[in-house]
Amino acid sequence: MNEAVVGTRIEREDGWGKVLGETHFPADVNRPGELYGAVLRSPHAHAHIRSVNVRAAAALPGVVGVFTAENVPHNAHGVLFRDQQVLVSECVRMVGDPIAAVAAETEKIAREAIARVEVDYEILPGLFDPEEAMKPDAPALHPDMHGPSNVLYHLPIRRGDMQAGWTKADVVVEKEYRTQMLDHAFLQPEAVLAYVDERGHLVVKVATQYAHYDRGEIAHALGLKYSQVRVKTMAVGGAFGGREDISLQIIAGLMAWTLRKPIKMENTRTESFLSHSKRHPMRLYYKTGATKDGKLVALEAKIIGDAGAYSSWSPNVVRKAAIHATGPYEIPNVQIDSYAVLTNNPYSGAMRAFGAAQPVLAYESQMDLLAEALGLSPLEMRLRNIFHVGSVTATGQMLTSSVGMAKCLQALTPYLATKGDAS
Amino acid sequence: MKKRGIGLGCGWYGTGYGNGFPDVSSAFVEIHDDGSATVSTGAVDVGQGSSTVFAQIAAEELGLEPQDITVITGDTDTTPDSGTSAATRHTYNTGNAVLKAVREAKERLLDHAAHEFSCTSAQGIELKEGWIGVIGDPSRRQPLADMVFQARLHGERFISAESSTARTTPVDRENGQGAPYWPYAFGAQVAEVEVDTETGLVQVLRIIAAHDVGRAINPTQVEGQIAGAVAQGVGYALMEEVELHEGVIKNPAFSSYLIPTALDVPNIQTIIVEEEEITGPYGAKGLGEPAMVPTLAAVVNAIYDAVGVRITSLPATPEKILAALVEKERTFGEGGMRQNIDS
Repeated sequence: MNEAVVGTRIEREDGWGKVLGETHFPADVNRPGELYGAVLRSPHAHAHIRSVNVRAAAALPGVVGVFTAENVPHNAHGVLFRDQQVLVSECVRMVGDPIAAVAAETEKIAREAIARVEVDYEILPGLFDPEEAMKPDAPALHPDMHGPSNVLYHLPIRRGDMQAGWTKADVVVEKEYRTQMLDHAFLQPEAVLAYVDERGHLVVKVATQYAHYDRGEIAHALGLKYSQVRVKTMAVGGAFGGREDISLQIIAGLMAWTLRKPIKMENTRTESFLSHSKRHPMRLYYKTGATKDGKLVALEAKIIGDAGAYSSWSPNVVRKAAIHATGPYEIPNVQIDSYAVLTNNPYSGAMRAFGAAQPVLAYESQMDLLAEALGLSPLEMRLRNIFHVGSVTATGQMLTSSVGMAKCLQALTPYLATKGDAS
Repeated sequence: MKKRGIGLGCGWYGTGYGNGFPDVSSAFVEIHDDGSATVSTGAVDVGQGSSTVFAQIAAEELGLEPQDITVITGDTDTTPDSGTSAATRHTYNTGNAVLKAVREAKERLLDHAAHEFSCTSAQGIELKEGWIGVIGDPSRRQPLADMVFQARLHGERFISAESSTARTTPVDRENGQGAPYWPYAFGAQVAEVEVDTETGLVQVLRIIAAHDVGRAINPTQVEGQIAGAVAQGVGYALMEEVELHEGVIKNPAFSSYLIPTALDVPNIQTIIVEEEEITGPYGAKGLGEPAMVPTLAAVVNAIYDAVGVRITSLPATPEKILAALVEKERTFGEGGMRQNIDS
């Protein structure tokens, strides 16, 4: 390690711009002659749209364009499956689903206009509990795209011999855990500026985690070539996974491309909450066994993640939960089942630590419960089970290098010397 | 009464897209006539500091200062697709792509310089502090800018495009077996909390966070990632929750969806563990997401250590803690509780 620059504390290249307020976020950029866009979102969690009447909205002075599903050339987007519509045509699956968009001379007019869009809904019963939604007789929420079951994804992990594991276990702890739905709560609500440039290309300026993905989805929805669409990332005011799925990019791009006018859009905080993905709430059923020497010998876990109304990254998130369900510990016998279930709740997607964030509540609580039952310290319980180089995970993967778990615990040992007031 | 407790949380995190999905990052590099350089990559810096890391990697390889490197990102007209800013993948994967691209351009530069210096091998050439020269022969060196400028007059340009793909295999759909991620990040945190037994309110006093990052390309940014992650972890453990009623969000505002403020964020002590990852740039692997994994567990275990109640449903709100304390008193009796809590 004799590098000159790597390993040093150089200043962030974006530091001064942010400190001095010179950095441009998408809400800060404008274009002469721009129009403001606003979106009408569903207040219902599950409904059939009988009709959408935009006449009163279009008649409002200052309104330049009103858009519904029929104006979108290819009305679909999504990170794994294109199961979300840019503007919903028939079936509302969650509160916040976009139904119509307006471009107007001012933001005030645009927001007044969307209030004048008349939607005739046939309200349907919703599925809000994933364990209800996964029952075989539950009505399917996406029969065309995801088949007759609301179980979007299931990963079983099987390793070793469960019966042998339970036989060896001197102590077994069985408990149910629940984690909640979270919002990313980034400080900068979604904003976008879209316009057609002097070359006739569509330019979309936005804060995103993945400009090239956005370009592909915009091009697909509008029927353009990648080479006709430029996505330029402005400064990003927090993301945490909440800027992976498309938000306003396609709607703004559609209106700018159709009207040949710059379109500016900015979510209110409430619209931001209603429109982007959420962290999966999970139910985790854990049964863990250890010998009297404190060695883990068996884990049976069932994990149910609420995917909400659309797939987004759900299969990958619950897969990650399954793969990480043991914690950083060697357990020779495991039976893990992880499920993503569609409901009419806000859709779940990527959020920092992506499916590995939820099981830690279960596996680390179990470790402390086992330690207490065995009369070991929490530290000792972990030291007897952690991964080292050469350890094999629940998926049968051998860890071949860079396993710093023991060093991390060693570094924390001095801070674990005291005991709390409950002991 | 205020009770204190200590809790331990460990965590691990497989970085990269995983499960056999091709995790590809790409970068373009151009070494300019004045000896500065441009790195171009689709990787968006969402605040985690990736662009600064790429500048450090390029500067290191070229013997330059980080400010000699311009990093252009996140523009589909000018940068190559480098995957999403997620999965804790940019320092490792895009860092590897930047490193490969810089080395590709550098290799031709070194070949050219070896010829110019009448050195028999490019391995005898070094780039250091803005100079290029023969190792151990101070009579044969010149400013990098001069070398690159002269090279142009000979029709030589030092530009490159490279990609890097992380290793991963899909897990079997019947039994989950496979090698889905590489590398894995590890971390552990200790939480010190104070629980008010009258209000149920938990104050996290201190978090000590030890994380294995392979190699810290920029220790200040490692500390920044950990600080942000701990703040998010405290919010996850204690206060944040999207409240739903039949699919309707009841609290779509920061007045009712509570996130940590400066008063809620504990004192954070960072311990950087460097267990080299041989496939990473300079031994580095990612930290962004794994940094928040242990926090909630450390806090929940510390609450138990403080007042003897185990919270199994997040967030650990004052209401839940008070209810658990009442339940505990009912189960163990007045004396039992006192014995458990006061002794």
